[in-house]
Amino acid sequence: MARHQNIRNLDYEAELEEYGAFSDEEEEELSPEDQVRMREGTAQVLEALGVEAHKVPKTQIEESLWHYYWDVDKTITYLISKYIDPPKKPAKTAPPKTAPKQDAAIASASRQSFAHLFRDLPWGNIPPERQAVLIPPPQLPAGLLGGSGAPPKMSKLQQLAAARKKKAEEKSASGEVEQTQVKMTELTVNDNQASKENRPLAGVFGKRVKISETTAQGRIPLTMAEPTRPEIPQAQAPEATPSQHQEEDPIDPEPAVAPPKAQPSAFASTLFGPSSDSPKRRPREVFALPYMAISSYSPDAFGKPSPDDVVLAAQAKVATAGKKSANVHNKKGSSSADGVTNQVSQLKIDDTPLPKSRNLNVLSEFEKQKGKKTASFVVVGHVDAGKSTMMGRLLLDLNVVDQRTVDKLRKEAEKIGKTSFALAWVLDQRHEERSRGVTIDIATNRFETETTSFTILDAPGHRDFIPNMIAGASQADFAILVIDASTGAFESGLKGQTREHSLLIRSMGVSRIIVAVNKLDTVNWSQERFDEITHQVSGFLTATGFQPKNIAFVPVSGLHGDNLVRKSTDPAASWYTGKTLVEELEASEPSARALAKPLRMTISEVMRTPQSSISITGRIDAGSLQMGDALLVQPSGEKAYVKSLQVDDGEPADWAVAGQNVVLHLSNIDPIHVRVGDIVCDPAKPIQCVDTFTLKALAFDILMPMQVDVHRGRLHAAGKIEAIDAILDKVTGKVTKKKPMIVKPGTVSRVRVTLHSKVPLEAGQRVVLRSGGQTVAAGLLE
Amino acid sequence: MADRRRINGPVGTTNPPIYDDAPEKQSEGFKVTRSRPANVIRKMYLKTGVTPSASGSAYLEIESSGNGGSGLKLSCSVHGPRALPRSTPFSPHIILSTHVKFAPFATKQRRGYIRDPIERDLGTHLETALRGSIIADRWPKSGVDIIISIVEGEQDRETSKAQGIEAWDTMNALSGCITVASAALADAGIDCVDTVAGGVAALVQDAGNDAAPSIVVDPIPSEHEKVLAACCIAYLPTRQEVTNLWFKGDLPASDMDVYTQLIEKGIQASKSANRVLVDCLNETVG
Ligand SMILES: Nc1nc2c(ncn2[C@@H]2O[C@H](COP(=O)(O)OP(=O)(O)OP(=O)(O)O)[C@@H](O)[C@H]2O)c(=O)[nH]1
Ligand SMILES: [Mg+2]
Repeated sequence: MARHQNIRNLDYEAELEEYGAFSDEEEEELSPEDQVRMREGTAQVLEALGVEAHKVPKTQIEESLWHYYWDVDKTITYLISKYIDPPKKPAKTAPPKTAPKQDAAIASASRQSFAHLFRDLPWGNIPPERQAVLIPPPQLPAGLLGGSGAPPKMSKLQQLAAARKKKAEEKSASGEVEQTQVKMTELTVNDNQASKENRPLAGVFGKRVKISETTAQGRIPLTMAEPTRPEIPQAQAPEATPSQHQEEDPIDPEPAVAPPKAQPSAFASTLFGPSSDSPKRRPREVFALPYMAISSYSPDAFGKPSPDDVVLAAQAKVATAGKKSANVHNKKGSSSADGVTNQVSQLKIDDTPLPKSRNLNVLSEFEKQKGKKTASFVVVGHVDAGKSTMMGRLLLDLNVVDQRTVDKLRKEAEKIGKTSFALAWVLDQRHEERSRGVTIDIATNRFETETTSFTILDAPGHRDFIPNMIAGASQADFAILVIDASTGAFESGLKGQTREHSLLIRSMGVSRIIVAVNKLDTVNWSQERFDEITHQVSGFLTATGFQPKNIAFVPVSGLHGDNLVRKSTDPAASWYTGKTLVEELEASEPSARALAKPLRMTISEVMRTPQSSISITGRIDAGSLQMGDALLVQPSGEKAYVKSLQVDDGEPADWAVAGQNVVLHLSNIDPIHVRVGDIVCDPAKPIQCVDTFTLKALAFDILMPMQVDVHRGRLHAAGKIEAIDAILDKVTGKVTKKKPMIVKPGTVSRVRVTLHSKVPLEAGQRVVLRSGGQTVAAGLLE
Repeated sequence: MADRRRINGPVGTTNPPIYDDAPEKQSEGFKVTRSRPANVIRKMYLKTGVTPSASGSAYLEIESSGNGGSGLKLSCSVHGPRALPRSTPFSPHIILSTHVKFAPFATKQRRGYIRDPIERDLGTHLETALRGSIIADRWPKSGVDIIISIVEGEQDRETSKAQGIEAWDTMNALSGCITVASAALADAGIDCVDTVAGGVAALVQDAGNDAAPSIVVDPIPSEHEKVLAACCIAYLPTRQEVTNLWFKGDLPASDMDVYTQLIEKGIQASKSANRVLVDCLNETVG
């Protein structure tokens, strides 16, 4: 019955004509049809309203009918909700045929909720306690979120923006700013009331306004004056809510008006620094001891030295006693050492060799033996000088390795593109050594000539592996120094490990050195080059302390084998008429063996073998041993027995003497007590484990009290130079300066070294001091 | 080889101190009674913005009761709001995750490094308390982590153990957690309808006289002969709403009055705490 019918019957021309008057005279100018409709509608509504009709003015009915386009249902609903009391049943008032139940339900619901909402509205006369106060939004500093205690963090972008903004503001007239401020004050209904107690909420939500500026734009923190004042317990809301307990409980009002704020504790003030707002507290003059309040506390508990003090005092006493005895040791020298060994020998419990022992007189056996002499030499030189290659060629030419093996190696080397290293691979057997083309650890091999059986110790040239080179050099009687003659390589070697190695082997006690000038094939066997190198190196070596008669030079080519075993066939090398390398080796007299001294042997390898669960290899430094002997392993101090032994190239033997490389199969000892670098010694005359010693040292670098690594053969221990006692004259050994601050490179000094742990060391041994990957000194234990 | 990925600790080792339980007799001598009025909470110190790397943080300490023990020290950091990981399903509102942990050294009994049931319980209570104050639908698809570490717990482990219930101390800890977390949330600038503060009230029986049990706020179990019942309340003062209520103890079911009184006292305690909170926030906004 509604609008769409109207539209269907619409007379457009009439409508358009009417349009002009529509705005000003629409209510008077009802068309005749509308007037009829109005009359009918009014009658219907009045009928529907029934008894309640008198409550509604007639004009209102007409107006609502017009408003709802003669929709009687809607009009009635509206009128009921507006003028007739909600409790009056709409079901009764609404005409049953036109008003569906649903409408009535909605009507009643809305009526109830509206009444509830507006029940408390003061309609204009707002009591002062309910008046809202508008507070201008706080001016917040721009910045990133969080950590508000600190000054605001600004991103770079923000800083840029802020700078631009500032500039713009400076330009624009300040009047604009004032204007906005004026507007702000206008906004504030009651500025006086925006006092302290109203700020909490503004403060709390200030941040929120800042961060959600886009969403809450124009929103001003609205603070109800009353309920946010927690200081006033007597809340005066017109209707008491359950939480208005203070009112009901007047006996027990909240007493504190100031918030119960505490001063930060010592912990907190240390964390955050002294709080700026807190009043400056006077520093306390009296400090109470903690736990004084507790009755079990007795102040005289601290009168006596604490248990810690007792222990420390005892330790200090022992330390001074030890120092004294060390001094005595230094002064009296060997006599005191004898005393110590005597005491230790008195201690011995059971050194009786196992029944297996043959109780041979090893030394006379050794005299009787008319065998070849044994010698071991170390091959040193700068990295890639061709040490390994030369030794590989030597072994090949002496038929220690056969051609087939070398061919096989060459094929393998070809696979990874390192054909030139095939000979070096005879000695470089580790996977990493082969793939990188450098020697990493000492490789040992043996060969025999008519007169001597030699042990090769192929040392690594790279400076990272100097400790391994030291271990090798400590086992050698003499040395081959390999020098790369090719252009440039010699010079760089002389600055590098050629120099360091020769210094090291000299300070390790090696006196005989053969200089193999290698790779002469690359310079076409130039005699000038050879002479030049000979000249420079011999000068350098004599300066290092080698005697000229102990230095020999051989021009060789390791790769091709010239002048190694056989004389060079190259016509360009015909100028050389001296000895070959092997001949030079045979001519070298091995250093005197300390056969009569007590047994000393450094363990260079520990392994499992079929003969024993624990087998050790190494070179006997001094003394002799035989099968069934009791041995002492230092520093663990455990005893072991020699079950069986092998000498040199793995031949079983009954005895061994100094200078020989042996494999000892041990029994009666736990493997955890035997480590590489340990020393095997005679239980009757054991080596002592010390943690301080004095050293006559040749400095390679500036020495001062500092952290050092002490190397002796395979053994190395961390320690530090405790003091430098004196600088000595290089030749005479006289003291030239006492207690110097530092020692310059090249000078000899007496230094005192302490170690972090006890290690077996004794006078007469040679050690190397290294620091930060550099050799700083080498010397002799005193 | 040393593990380079983590920060290696110092070389030496130390042993944590082990306290032998003091004999019963001795603790008798230290009997303390409540020194403040029944309706006054202990003083507290609150500071926001303590952790620079967090988006919001706060530190709360409640001073000790004064008999040689230690108070409560809490530090809270809020991380977020931040995007949820891709794997989580869509969420139309912010997802709160709360994490309460006692430091291993916080109490006399050493705590483990993994959260025990008490700590997880505290976490859930805290989450309920805060959820009522955060306007959660401002941040769909995001999460916020609230991490509280209890640097120092209440000192009275022993007493409460003697009484057989540790919950009284846990309630005090929870009320502190709620207050400090609310401060940290405000510091992080996360929209809240109101600040929320925690308060504890307890029905206690005092030593000596057979007087009727009384209600005190912010109870310290060692100061009273017996704690009959206690409740911890999280309250929004401006809205006058309770977001979390934890009630524990034995009360006669008939006496409804005691229940309401206890809650009212709890609300009073939380209002006092809230004043410190608001004061502290004002200071920072300044
Ligand atoms: N032309 C030529 N090349 C040689 C000679 N000797 C060695 N080389 C090459 O020099 C390179 C290095 O040889 P190596 O034997 O591995 O050198 P190294 O001294 O053992 O090196 P490190 O053990 O790592 O210190 C290889 O490519 C050899 O082929 C030689 O006499 N003549
Ligand atoms: Mg090599």
